[in-house]
Amino acid sequence: MKNKKILTGPYMLWVIAFTIIPLLMIVYYGLTDTTGSFTLKNLAAITTPENLKALGLALLLSFISTFLCLILAYPLAMILSEKKVNQTSFIVLIFIMPMWMNFLLRTIAWQNLLEKNGVINMVLRFLHLPEQALINTPYAIVLGMVYNFLPFMILPIYNVLSKIDKDVIFAARDLGANTVQTFSKIIFPLSIPGIISGITMVFVPSLTTFVISDLLGGSKILLIGNVIEQEFKQGSNWNVGSGLSLVLMIFIIASMAIIAKYDKDGEGTAF
Amino acid sequence: MIKNALKRFYLILIVILLYAPIVTLIVLSFNRSKSRAKWGGFTGKWYLSLFENEAIMSALYTTLVIALLSALIATLIGTIAAIGIHAMRPKMRTFMMAVTNIPMLNADIVTGISLMLLFIAFRFSLGFNTILLAHITFNIPYVILSVMPKLKQTRKSTYEAALDLGASPLYAFFKVVFPDILPGVFSGFLLSFTMSLDDFVITHFTKGPGVETLSTKIYSEVRKGIKPEMYALSTIMFVTVLILLLLINITPDDKAQKKKVKPTTNRTFCKRVKTLLRTVVPATIIILIVTGGFFYKSNNGSSSNNQVIVYNWGEYIDPKVLDLFEKETGIDVIYEEYETNEIMYPKIQSGAIAYDVVCPSDYMIQRMIQNDLLAEINFDHMPNYKYIDKTYLEHSREFDPENKYSVPYLYGTVGILYNTMLVDEPIDSWSCLWDEKYKDSILMQDSVRDAFGVTLKYLGHSLNSTDLDELNAAKQLLIKQKPLVQAYVIDQVRDKMIGNEAAIGVIYSGEAHYTKSENPNLEYVIPKEGSNLWIDGWVIPKNAKHKENAEKFIDFLCRPDIALMNFNYTTYSVPNTALRDLIEDDELKNSPIIFPDPADLVNCETFHYLGVENDAIYNQLWREVKSN
Repeated sequence: MKNKKILTGPYMLWVIAFTIIPLLMIVYYGLTDTTGSFTLKNLAAITTPENLKALGLALLLSFISTFLCLILAYPLAMILSEKKVNQTSFIVLIFIMPMWMNFLLRTIAWQNLLEKNGVINMVLRFLHLPEQALINTPYAIVLGMVYNFLPFMILPIYNVLSKIDKDVIFAARDLGANTVQTFSKIIFPLSIPGIISGITMVFVPSLTTFVISDLLGGSKILLIGNVIEQEFKQGSNWNVGSGLSLVLMIFIIASMAIIAKYDKDGEGTAF
Repeated sequence: MIKNALKRFYLILIVILLYAPIVTLIVLSFNRSKSRAKWGGFTGKWYLSLFENEAIMSALYTTLVIALLSALIATLIGTIAAIGIHAMRPKMRTFMMAVTNIPMLNADIVTGISLMLLFIAFRFSLGFNTILLAHITFNIPYVILSVMPKLKQTRKSTYEAALDLGASPLYAFFKVVFPDILPGVFSGFLLSFTMSLDDFVITHFTKGPGVETLSTKIYSEVRKGIKPEMYALSTIMFVTVLILLLLINITPDDKAQKKKVKPTTNRTFCKRVKTLLRTVVPATIIILIVTGGFFYKSNNGSSSNNQVIVYNWGEYIDPKVLDLFEKETGIDVIYEEYETNEIMYPKIQSGAIAYDVVCPSDYMIQRMIQNDLLAEINFDHMPNYKYIDKTYLEHSREFDPENKYSVPYLYGTVGILYNTMLVDEPIDSWSCLWDEKYKDSILMQDSVRDAFGVTLKYLGHSLNSTDLDELNAAKQLLIKQKPLVQAYVIDQVRDKMIGNEAAIGVIYSGEAHYTKSENPNLEYVIPKEGSNLWIDGWVIPKNAKHKENAEKFIDFLCRPDIALMNFNYTTYSVPNTALRDLIEDDELKNSPIIFPDPADLVNCETFHYLGVENDAIYNQLWREVKSN
């Protein structure tokens, strides 16, 4: 069976050309200045108070939204995994379907829902409830993150849950475990790979987004993603932008390490 | 039972969360008003005008072709790779899976930037191919990750049995293993297709001139307000996919059939209907869409070398003008849009793409002249140049001292738009932007120079100030203003003002005219302290390959009838002396917004290019404001 390994050849070449080398380019730009000589100044750019604040806020908001996604997704994944196999493929597709409407359009649509005179406030007014200031707040950004990335939490958890052998659960019941015990001793531990993979799949894009904070935060709230985007697009300073991207990559590498630790066989994959 | 009801309720709640924006978009696609913020009555006209909108249709075509090609190639490479990885030793396998995870876990922005750096370093010209390569790159992991679990489920023994029975490895693979992993391959393909369709960030960084996908098109439209046709198109795409899914999934129920004893003929009939519904119908629809796309493209495709590559602001020209130009001159126009001067500049500077004609703003023209990026325009080729208003040629000298490099295209002022329903005092000064009364009702411009320009003017300084004390004072004032600001916006200010979301907004005069026509309670004023007079002009980069065509193009835009078309489309002021007489509407003709009284412009300045260091200072101060 050795010759089968050769089959990875084209993929290896592809990965080297379009994943590894491009990342090295970022490293190169991040560690040099405009004249091409070595510097650590671009990395140090993260320590300025406003960049630190943007990073801190991004971390905070993405922690919150990851947590919310987990809370929302876990029960849902459990409900879904109880359904019969025939139905589930359809139900799972329901969570992928929204992606057929463009990501930007979906987020812009939230503006219509959240604005002062938006749909939600109109409903509240109709019910004679106090109106809420929703748009352009950190809450709106968290909502945007949860909304956009929730499917990436649901799918991996659903996948591991539906793979759990029902006999194991029956065995636990037969041996006298109650519902809570079965959950805490059997179901939950077995679903950890899915949870971990879901957490990283939500955390990383939330941490690095610039579109959601732009569209729903009214550009008042600056996240680290916005800072990097501005370095490339407005400041035209690719070196500092790359330096900050390198800092972000530390978080990404950390997530990958965690995944590799908890999910050795790639069981908790989303798809 | 209660538990089941609760579960169902919860499921429905999440579905509502996921689909609320989608319903909103569908509703917007039937909105008669062009503005997102106003319901103007029911209409289906956007669905008709969609098919006449060449820009959107060609973006749709590009999007579909890239999604299809990238998904196909990724599926091929990914499936083969998955088989190889599956055969590896566990350690090697973990390593390969970690590598595979990189594009999935890496931030889109980092992946996009890294690929852009690669393409530029290796002199790939950015365009269709680079987008395709990028999409394949981020699609492969989805395929591998969907095929791997299926591979794990296959049993080695059946494959070996096939070999023992004399099958060749290839034959055994296709007969035994492949059918088992096919669902994984298929779902990998579908996922890749969906991800490619939905991607914005990576495409944004890797695309080149003349190529737009739906995402990038939408992003450039955010500036100007999304075109309603876009909502219509999204609705059509969504409904198509929904119908496809329903056809594939909701087919006659197997169980119901088993329970009822039915005549065999009926059952085979049912089966036939089912296979028809499951495979034939979706396949036909997909084939129809794709061939339709190819047919459409072959009708519109341009192949000749006689072309002009135009790089312009989003929504800054009447698309009919481009058609007319192509028809009259036989020159093909390749058209691309940008959102800010700062996005445009590095592309011109790097020379990765040889644009023929570009439309930067005043200060950016100055910067490009200083950095020797522009070619002198040969005005002998331009008989219509005489129509350009001398007043604005004079103003242009601030950034193009001899009027050698640029031809003014559109101009305007920056001022205050206020809602007379929400503001009951006359507004004539920038001071209202710092008035506590309007807390949470102020929309401020989200660009460094505009925000600082306004503040510096309010303080009585030049908006080109480089004096650190003046700038720091402006910064302090902006920080003080921040709690009062509802949002920092660029052109979203239009929709928000139309929808009565805010009382006061800083806005460009061209937008002011349009917003006023949608919401009569809005008034525009140039504050007495003075403001920014901006001029966007056409220039020809030094590396342009079709300079004469570029000159023909600029000349064409100076023609009075064409100027009128562009004026009607953009509602920005056009510095064309023959224009005013062509406008029939008296109100427009005498509008002080469109044709400002030169007296109002006395205190106005254009922006100057301040140099790299001063730009960095401005950016730094602005970041301090924004992150405060």
